[in-house]
Amino acid sequence: MSLDQVICAAINAGLILAVSPFYMGLVRKTKALCQGRRGPPLLQPYYNLAKLLKKERIYSENSSRIMKATPYINITAIIAAAFFIPVAVLTLPSYGLGNIILFLYLLALAKFFMALAGLDAGSTFGGMSSSREMSISSIIEPITIMVFAALVYTLHTLNFYDMFSQTTSMQTFFQPALLLISIPLFIVLIVETARVPVDNPETHLELTMVHEGMLLEYTGRDLVLMELSNAIKQTLFMAVLINVILPWGLTTEISAPSILFSAFAFLAKGAILAVLLGLFESTIAKMRLFALPGLFALAFFFSVLTVCLEVFA
Amino acid sequence: MFTSLFYLGIILSLLGFILPLLQLENKGKTSRRISYALSILSSISFLAFSILSFGEKAGYIIPLYSNGGLIDFSFYIDRLSAFFIAVISIVSLSSAVYSIEYGEHIAHVRRKNYLASLLNLFALSMVLAVASYNTLCFIFFWEILSMSSFIFVLFEYEKPGTRKAALYYFIMTQMSTLFLMLGFFGLYANTCADTCSFIIQPLTSAPQNLSLIFISLFIGFSIKAGVVPFHKWLPYAHPAAPSSISAMMSGVMIKVAIYGLIRFTYTVLPKEDWWGILILVAGTLSAILGVIYALKEHDIKRLLAYHSIENIGIILIGLGLYLIYSANNLPKLATIAFAAALFHTLNHALFKSLLFLTAGSVVSATGERNIEEFGGLIKTMPYTAFLFLVGAVSISGLPPFNGFVSELMIFQAFFGSYLIQDPLVKSLLVVCLSVFALTSALAAACFVKAFGITFLAVPRSESARNAKEVGKYMIAGASIPAALCMGLGIFSLQIFSFIGYETDLPDMLFMGLLLTVIYAISYMILKQASANKESVGETWGCGMTNLSGRTEYTASGFSQPIVRFFKDIYRTNEESERSFYDKQNTLFKGGKGEIHLIKFFEEKLYDPIAGAINKISIRVSGLENWNLDSYILYAFIAVLATVAYVGWIA
Repeated sequence: MSLDQVICAAINAGLILAVSPFYMGLVRKTKALCQGRRGPPLLQPYYNLAKLLKKERIYSENSSRIMKATPYINITAIIAAAFFIPVAVLTLPSYGLGNIILFLYLLALAKFFMALAGLDAGSTFGGMSSSREMSISSIIEPITIMVFAALVYTLHTLNFYDMFSQTTSMQTFFQPALLLISIPLFIVLIVETARVPVDNPETHLELTMVHEGMLLEYTGRDLVLMELSNAIKQTLFMAVLINVILPWGLTTEISAPSILFSAFAFLAKGAILAVLLGLFESTIAKMRLFALPGLFALAFFFSVLTVCLEVFA
Repeated sequence: MFTSLFYLGIILSLLGFILPLLQLENKGKTSRRISYALSILSSISFLAFSILSFGEKAGYIIPLYSNGGLIDFSFYIDRLSAFFIAVISIVSLSSAVYSIEYGEHIAHVRRKNYLASLLNLFALSMVLAVASYNTLCFIFFWEILSMSSFIFVLFEYEKPGTRKAALYYFIMTQMSTLFLMLGFFGLYANTCADTCSFIIQPLTSAPQNLSLIFISLFIGFSIKAGVVPFHKWLPYAHPAAPSSISAMMSGVMIKVAIYGLIRFTYTVLPKEDWWGILILVAGTLSAILGVIYALKEHDIKRLLAYHSIENIGIILIGLGLYLIYSANNLPKLATIAFAAALFHTLNHALFKSLLFLTAGSVVSATGERNIEEFGGLIKTMPYTAFLFLVGAVSISGLPPFNGFVSELMIFQAFFGSYLIQDPLVKSLLVVCLSVFALTSALAAACFVKAFGITFLAVPRSESARNAKEVGKYMIAGASIPAALCMGLGIFSLQIFSFIGYETDLPDMLFMGLLLTVIYAISYMILKQASANKESVGETWGCGMTNLSGRTEYTASGFSQPIVRFFKDIYRTNEESERSFYDKQNTLFKGGKGEIHLIKFFEEKLYDPIAGAINKISIRVSGLENWNLDSYILYAFIAVLATVAYVGWIA
């Protein structure tokens, strides 16, 4: 039985892998339209990845094996994390798949090696970005944990599969606690995917450089892996948010039509969220690095509020 | 019976202790090598003994020597002490292997022999302390442990700073013994209802002064374990000792205190509810402050010492949660918290000794301890770099290594707090949970810094450029804990079910397989689908060419944003002076800026206490005026006071 569940998880992961660049393109398109530009086609991220595959890889003479191994470690950890989030098929958890702590720490593993790779070439940009990335991630971590603690307090389980099967079968339209959680979860999504106001994924300016700076020395297929894992990470957090507030469409039935239907449902829900992300990014300015704790405190406040609701309920 | 293994271990250790002492001036390696071999053998026999004893359900007593009265060296082995013996022997095994080569780098012949000899004594005293059956025996070996480690702290006594470290260590460790004795006397007094005894056994009824006994034992063990605010000796003493000994001090010596805390307050004393909260808060505080101070530290061994404070905090969090959940009748959560604390004890022993050993290799290869002088060592010291990376990933709590599993268990224990009734305790747990999450994220940031600045990119100094990989014994010594870090992480679930503890932890073996499969598939797909061209170029430097180590990011630069975020905790004092040529302050002439780190605990807590004691002792020494008359007067007053006490009060 549990092999079936692993296969279902693999289907979910495959779906996430396939649609991630599309959401990237959608956010970019929305932003371009907001700025009065026509913007690249929606499938541009796929073309970029295909083009990069044909390019040769150039390594810095200062770099070491860490630089070469990091893209693979990164994509491995992130795809493994994708096994944890049900986007199309919802099954029973097995082998600890769906454990929220393991999910977060797989992402942390990817981040750890990415930051090391940023330092590896000896470039000042890479070092600066690693430093910023680790600083931001260390102060967002307690907030992420609090958001998940709020989820655990509300839904009384530590497993994504169990959580979302509860949210799917909920009778009421919206649960206030879950709506409250979605605010800090949205902020975590923005921080983790390096978007405005925390970071700007479109520039390579020193001022905004957090995530992109670590990738400066990457070329060819290594860059494909790094870009892809970033895109998947964004989809993962989007999927958590979607499953918390809009879980409808997730199927528990293992049959081709129902899986296809729920995959399309997820694609649609994700597209809406991606457009929202793009609109949000267009309406807000990049924050100063040292002003970020204020934003994080906001997220912290909402998650603590949710926890308090449950504690004193 | 396998108790013969226990005796064998003691005899081998004692032989290894005596042999180099007989030939202190001996330059030849042979006697030292024999001594290290004896130490390795005794560790192996203790390890075998402890693993076999772990299978026994009931504890048993091993008598060694007794004069029929107070002096009674007998040992009691149950699963708890067997577990700690196993932890100690694994770390002393790897330290001994490492020292075979490391010890020969020490300049003085006598010191080489002392290292070989005292390493045996140090390891033996720890094993016997955790096996002790009565408090006198415990204190005896506890003091041997303190004294042998004190000699190690003073090992390079001619270096500046070492004597300060040794003084700190000496005073703190004696304070710890003082508090322990106070607690032990309290225990002793309470056994006197039937027959007075020093035997360590659960009390049948709640003793008088229960809180006093608990507090003095807690303080005594906290000092030795390095719990904030008693932690100050740790960052001084651990770096001063030779690296193989730092590994043992940080890896297992402070765990003996954890053993004592578990043994005396959890099994001997009847528990009270507020202890759990005290231990949880102390643990959380140690965890966060330990890692925050570690981030600012650039001396590699001191950085690791601060991380020991952090990890001791994590262990205490587990122990505190255990008490809180037991008080709230949640046995399942209590068990997972306790298992997490013990598993983290083992894990920290492994990865911390691994990190200290590899840091010792780096220090002996470069002659530097400041990480700002390192860089690029992964190319010259690839094996050491790999081993350090394993330790760094484990201590940062990243899957699938062992550090992750114990942190995961602590998180699971925390998340179960919704089952607690009392809203105040619940809120406290939520606060501690978020601080704990911050701790583990900061630890990852700190080890990106430690590994990245030390091993990656370009060398920052001549000594780093000329570093050579260390020899095979030093690598082998560090490989033992590294292999265990990986093994214990991946097989954690299987190990737990083997020892009879069923949990709902994620299966890390499955995760390991999943990761390997994904890695292999993605590698193969990309190899097929992409252009297999590769070339080497220069790092992009905005048009600048020939980037040197001077343009690299530094360790201070790396931790600067975090230092700024937490500036209230660091309490940095920034002063700047500027002078100008003109009155409008536009043409800059010169100036200076200084950033001081206030040593909060040292300046606000330790120094005032030391100052007060100093003042009192000056007053008291004034009484001693070399005058016979005044001495007779003192004697007279003393007699009067005794008469008064006997007559009226007693």
